[in-house]
Amino acid sequence: MALKLKLEDGVHEVEIVARRPHLVVRVDGRLHTVADLGPAGDGSGTVTLDGADLAFERIARAGACLVRIDGRTIAVDVVDPFDEGEGAGGGRDEILAPMPGAVVHVHKAAGDPVVRGEAVLTIESMKLQTTLVAPRDGELIAVLKGEGDTFEKDEVIARLAPVEGGQ
Amino acid sequence: MSHSAPPRDAFRVDAAPRAQSEPRAIAAAPFRRVLIANRGEIAVRVQRTLREMGIGTVAVFHRVDADAPHVAGADQAVELIGDTAVAAHLDGAQIVAAALASGADAIHPGYGFLSENAGFARQVAEAGLIFIGPDADTIALMGDKISARQFAEAHGVPVAPSVMPTGDLDAFAAEAARIGFPLLIKAAAGGGGKGMSIVREAGALREAARIAASEAQRYFGDGRVYAEVYVERPRHIEVQVLGDGAGGAVHLFERECSVQRRFQKIIEEAPAARLPAALRDEICAAAVRLAAAARYKNAGTVEFILCADGRFFFLEMNTRLQVEHPVTEMITGIDLVRAQLEIAAGQGLPAPQDEIVARGHAIECRICAEAPDRGFLPATGAVRHLGIPRGAAIRFENALRQGQKVTADFDPMLAKLVVAGTDRRDAIDRTLTALGELAILGVETNVDYLVRVLDHPAFRAGDLHTAFVSEHADSLAPRPLDAAARDRALIVAALGQRVFRTLATDVPEPHASIGAWRN
Repeated sequence: MALKLKLEDGVHEVEIVARRPHLVVRVDGRLHTVADLGPAGDGSGTVTLDGADLAFERIARAGACLVRIDGRTIAVDVVDPFDEGEGAGGGRDEILAPMPGAVVHVHKAAGDPVVRGEAVLTIESMKLQTTLVAPRDGELIAVLKGEGDTFEKDEVIARLAPVEGGQ
Repeated sequence: MSHSAPPRDAFRVDAAPRAQSEPRAIAAAPFRRVLIANRGEIAVRVQRTLREMGIGTVAVFHRVDADAPHVAGADQAVELIGDTAVAAHLDGAQIVAAALASGADAIHPGYGFLSENAGFARQVAEAGLIFIGPDADTIALMGDKISARQFAEAHGVPVAPSVMPTGDLDAFAAEAARIGFPLLIKAAAGGGGKGMSIVREAGALREAARIAASEAQRYFGDGRVYAEVYVERPRHIEVQVLGDGAGGAVHLFERECSVQRRFQKIIEEAPAARLPAALRDEICAAAVRLAAAARYKNAGTVEFILCADGRFFFLEMNTRLQVEHPVTEMITGIDLVRAQLEIAAGQGLPAPQDEIVARGHAIECRICAEAPDRGFLPATGAVRHLGIPRGAAIRFENALRQGQKVTADFDPMLAKLVVAGTDRRDAIDRTLTALGELAILGVETNVDYLVRVLDHPAFRAGDLHTAFVSEHADSLAPRPLDAAARDRALIVAALGQRVFRTLATDVPEPHASIGAWRN
C-alpha cells in the first residue's frame, strides 16, 4: 500500500511500513520514522521526522499539494486524484469539488450514461487542471456547473442517478 | 555628512521601527482628514501614518475591493464607479468629488495611478483641496523626459552625453569622440538593434558611423545616426529628496535598485553597496541641487545611472512617494509619509541636512505573483495560506488576506518585505531568514527566487548591475532537491492527504479503505 506522488517530474511512493509504536514510512526504498504527524489539513505545523522537528506549511487538496519546508515551496501532486476523491468521501452519487476552482470544460450533460473513470468535467484550481471523473457506472442526472463557473471545496458539481436499493 | 556606518552596537534594530512612530512634539496635525487615492499595500501604509498623526482617513475603492484591507482600515470609504478597478482609480473627477463629499481637506495619491498626473494635481487644487505632492507645473516639468533632462543639465546635474544626428560624418565623428568610449551609435529612425553598434576606440568611430549610417539608410530610408554614451554594467542609484517648495531641499541618502527583471525593480537597498563615500556625496548633492532648483515641494526621487568608472547620469525624477521608500525610512528613522503631509501643510522639512543620519542597512524585496522559472510571467491564483515573518526590524507591507484571489487586474506585486540590519551582511542574513519564514501558498510567487538572489555570491559581494538577473540566470535557477529534502517534502505532502493520514493513524478495516491506493 503506497501513495504515489509526483515531485519535480519524478513519481515517488510513500508506503506505510508500520504504525506502532511510531509511523514508519518507506520513500523510494528509504525508511523514515514519523514520531509526530503534526496537525492535519492546511496551515503550518511541525512534524517529528527521524527524530528531528521539521516545521512546515502546507495546503493540500486531492490531487495537488503545496508544501513549504526548509524555506522552499515545493509542489507535490497525487498521481491518481480519482481514488483520493472517492476516498475522501465524495459519495457514490455525487461528484464533489476536491478544491475551489473554476470549470474549464464540461464533457458530459445530464442524461448521459457514464462508466467509472469517465471524464465528466475538467476543472482548474491553482493553475492546475484536473479532470473530475464518474465514481461509478451510471447515468448523470445533473451537471450543476457550466464552463467558467466557480465553486468552493466540496461543492456538489454533478449527480448520478441513485442505484436501486441505495448504499 | 554623517553617513558612514556607525559602530556595530550603535544600531539597534529593535529601536528602528519605534523611532518612526514616536509622535514628534511639533505642530498640530497638518490636516483633519485625508483621502487616499490608492489601494493595496500603499493605501494601508499611508493610513498607518495618518492614524498615528490623529488624522482621519478616507479610502476609495472599486467594488472588486469592497472587502479589501484598505477599506476595512479606513474611517470612511467611498465607492468609485468604473468598468474596471484601474479605470475607477484613474477617474480624477470622481475622486475629487469623493474627497469633497467626505469632508477631506487633502488627497494623498500614493504611487502609480494619478500620483504623477499634472491634470489631477490641478483638479485637486482647483477644488480647494491640498494635493500631497508637488504643484502641477513641477509634475509636468519632471514628467517629460526631454524637459526634465534639459532642466537637470541647466542646473549642473550630469546627463548622459549624446551627439544629435547630422548628415556630415566627419563632423559627427569629431563630436562623438568627445563623449568618450565606449559609446553607442544608433540610427535616428532606428529600432530593433538595426544600425546600432558599440564603439570602443576613437580609431573605429568613423567607420562604425559610416556602416551605421548606410545600414540605417537601407533599413529605415533615413541615414542619420546619433551617438550616446554606452554604459556597461550600469547600476541604478536613486536619491530620496525632500523639498519644502521654497527652495529648501535635503536628501535622505541613496537607494540601490540595480536588481531588476522585465525593467522593474525586485530588490532595493539603502545605502547602496560598495559606493565610495565621496561619490555618494556627489550623487546626493546633485539630487539636492535639482530639487532646490525646481523649488520642489514634496518627497521625490532623483534616479541616476551609475557607470563602472564612477560617472553618473540623471535618468529621471519621480515626483511622488516611491515603492521602495521604506528602506530609506529604515536607515534614517524618518517617516516619509509624515514628511509629505507636513511639507504639504507648509510645516517645512523634518530636519536640516546635518541632522539626517543613516544607520545600518535595509533591504526591500518585492514579493510578486509570478513564475521566475518561466520568464517571470505573472501568476494568478488565491492566497490559500499566508504565513508572515515577524520581528522588530521587519516590515511586511501588504494588503493581503487569506483566501484573497490574485487576478491579472492589478500589478503582480503582492507585498514588500523590508528588513533592516546592522550592516549589509546582517541585513542580507536577516532578509534570508524572513523570506524563509514567509509563506504564501496558493499562488506562485518569486519568494524562493529572491532567496537565491540574496544568497548569490555576486549579490553578497555587492557586485550589482541592472543585468544581474540575466547575467546570473544559470546560477539563479532552482537547484533540484536532494533525496533527503525530497523525502521530507513527500512525507509532509502525504500527511496532508486525508486518506493517507487515516491509514497512517487508524487500524484499517481489512480491505475497505486500502482499495483506494491499490494500483
